[in-house]
Amino acid sequence: MRIEYLAWRIFYSLLAFVISVTLSFVLLHAMPGDYLHVILPHLAEKNPLATELFREQFGLDKSLFEQYVLYVLNVLQGNWGYSIQYGLPVTEVILEKLSWTAVILLPATLLSIFIGVLIGSYSGWTSGSLGDSFIFKIMIFLGAVPSYWWAIFLILVLGFYLDLFPLGGYMSITALDEGMKLHDVLYHAALPIVALTLTTVPGVYYLMRNSMLMIVGQDYILAARSKGLSEIEILLRHALKNAMLPMITLFAMELAHVIMGSIFIETIFSWPGMGFLTFEALRVRDLPLLQGIFLMDTLIIILANIAADFSYPLIDPRAKVGEIG
Amino acid sequence: MASLILLAIYIGIAAFGPCLAPYASSEIAGSPLEEPGRLHLLGTNDLGQDIFSNLLCGARATLVLGFLGALLSVLTALTFGTISAYYGGRTDEIISRIVDIMMTLPGFPLLIVLVVFLPSSIFIMAAIMGLLGGLQGIRIIRSQVLSISRAEYIYGTRALGASDHYIMSRHILPGILPLAAVTFINAAQRFMLMGVGLGFLGLGDPNVVDWGQMISRAYSNGGFALGLWWWLLPPGLAVVLLSMTLALIGYGLEEEIEPRLKNINNSKWFTNGYARNN
Repeated sequence: MRIEYLAWRIFYSLLAFVISVTLSFVLLHAMPGDYLHVILPHLAEKNPLATELFREQFGLDKSLFEQYVLYVLNVLQGNWGYSIQYGLPVTEVILEKLSWTAVILLPATLLSIFIGVLIGSYSGWTSGSLGDSFIFKIMIFLGAVPSYWWAIFLILVLGFYLDLFPLGGYMSITALDEGMKLHDVLYHAALPIVALTLTTVPGVYYLMRNSMLMIVGQDYILAARSKGLSEIEILLRHALKNAMLPMITLFAMELAHVIMGSIFIETIFSWPGMGFLTFEALRVRDLPLLQGIFLMDTLIIILANIAADFSYPLIDPRAKVGEIG
Repeated sequence: MASLILLAIYIGIAAFGPCLAPYASSEIAGSPLEEPGRLHLLGTNDLGQDIFSNLLCGARATLVLGFLGALLSVLTALTFGTISAYYGGRTDEIISRIVDIMMTLPGFPLLIVLVVFLPSSIFIMAAIMGLLGGLQGIRIIRSQVLSISRAEYIYGTRALGASDHYIMSRHILPGILPLAAVTFINAAQRFMLMGVGLGFLGLGDPNVVDWGQMISRAYSNGGFALGLWWWLLPPGLAVVLLSMTLALIGYGLEEEIEPRLKNINNSKWFTNGYARNN
């Protein structure tokens, strides 16, 4: 069971990856507009030779099939091409931006899981109470407000009117003289982190509340209660541990998806992460970079999926691999 | 109940907005950046266009995007989910595997790329969102149909000689309609937010006014830095209010049919990860 499941899992992942490679290649090559016309409109008109040279330089003059084969070979060898816009290897650009995304993504995910688990378990444990329905309504509200609106709202109120936080960017202008300072970066990261947290908390909350609701009615909770344990003790020692299980999958998925989901927040805050990079790459039609971003995203989601699957039985011995999917 | 009335108002605006609006959406109706006043209820933008009129006209694009996308996605989910679960066997295997693989692809980037690649029109945008979103719905519908089609009365009907088509449309479909309704409302809310988001990113249809483009315009042309709240707030508040309305209706429906949805709730939150952040 274990081996077979593992094999299938890897096979599907590979298949998905190949499909995404092909898809990204086809789509991105059929996209209207090319880099030269966006960035150097006059050069392309006045000097056809420059256009020729440019095409030759980047291999755009070969047939599509040739380009595809070359692309696949290169991807497998870890060479994801050169970004036209940056003139650097795509992987290098992406990895740099990825680390900036991580600066806001990790704290936001941890924070939203912490808050979501806390109020979600309270809400599920006391379901039907006044507090529960109050929190539930607030969460509907939070979930209904789109992330870009949170970002704009936070900048407008805390950044513009109250002048407490910077309007965007990732470090102050003084960093040019004094170098990068940790507290300066954190100061700039605060609002994006809050905005990301606000948009991810409702999801965590619902999952936690549902999972708690299912556990409240279980026999072992009744048993614990009849032993005379206090409510808090039952909640912490018996209910919470089991209700936390779906959090693993959620955590992995959250990390994987939010990389793209933060596109609005990063764009609005001018935070130099993956989302902002995607937005920029789209604007100037930087095909190799876009392909790289798309591939990296697929890769991250596949890995997160597998990791979540295989961490399950480590945490809950009852769940053998393949039985919970 | 209140949310239903609100939704009705929204739909009314979307239908008759252009007639109600005092100015045409692209008409230069006054001097740029006028404050709200008698002539322009919500002021004017940097081109001198009337924001109140734009708001009314923009409702149509945003609502069309949300509801058309949702309709398509529910239809996709219903069709393939029902076929997959009802026939089982190889059909089920093939459809499930395709869904499995497609789910591994990052949805939102795929959406962005597709929207850029295809000619920008709200109908095409709605179609793409609907098809991509429908993939997730297939699983939810499938599991529900699976449990229904194992019921005794389905066996009974079959024993009476009813055709597959008859069973599916007369006995299975009514059973999953409540679930489909909830899926529809949730999807409408999601796609509407997504559509506004795409407009905000500058990927919207340039021929129609929508709220996302209004926010984007106000945001990037200095509505912020000058503190021109009447330029930025109206489209944003309109989006938030509509989104809340749909969310409340969704939850209301869900509570109404709670016992059937209980075990599906969880999977819902697993599967719509990518959309949640918009």
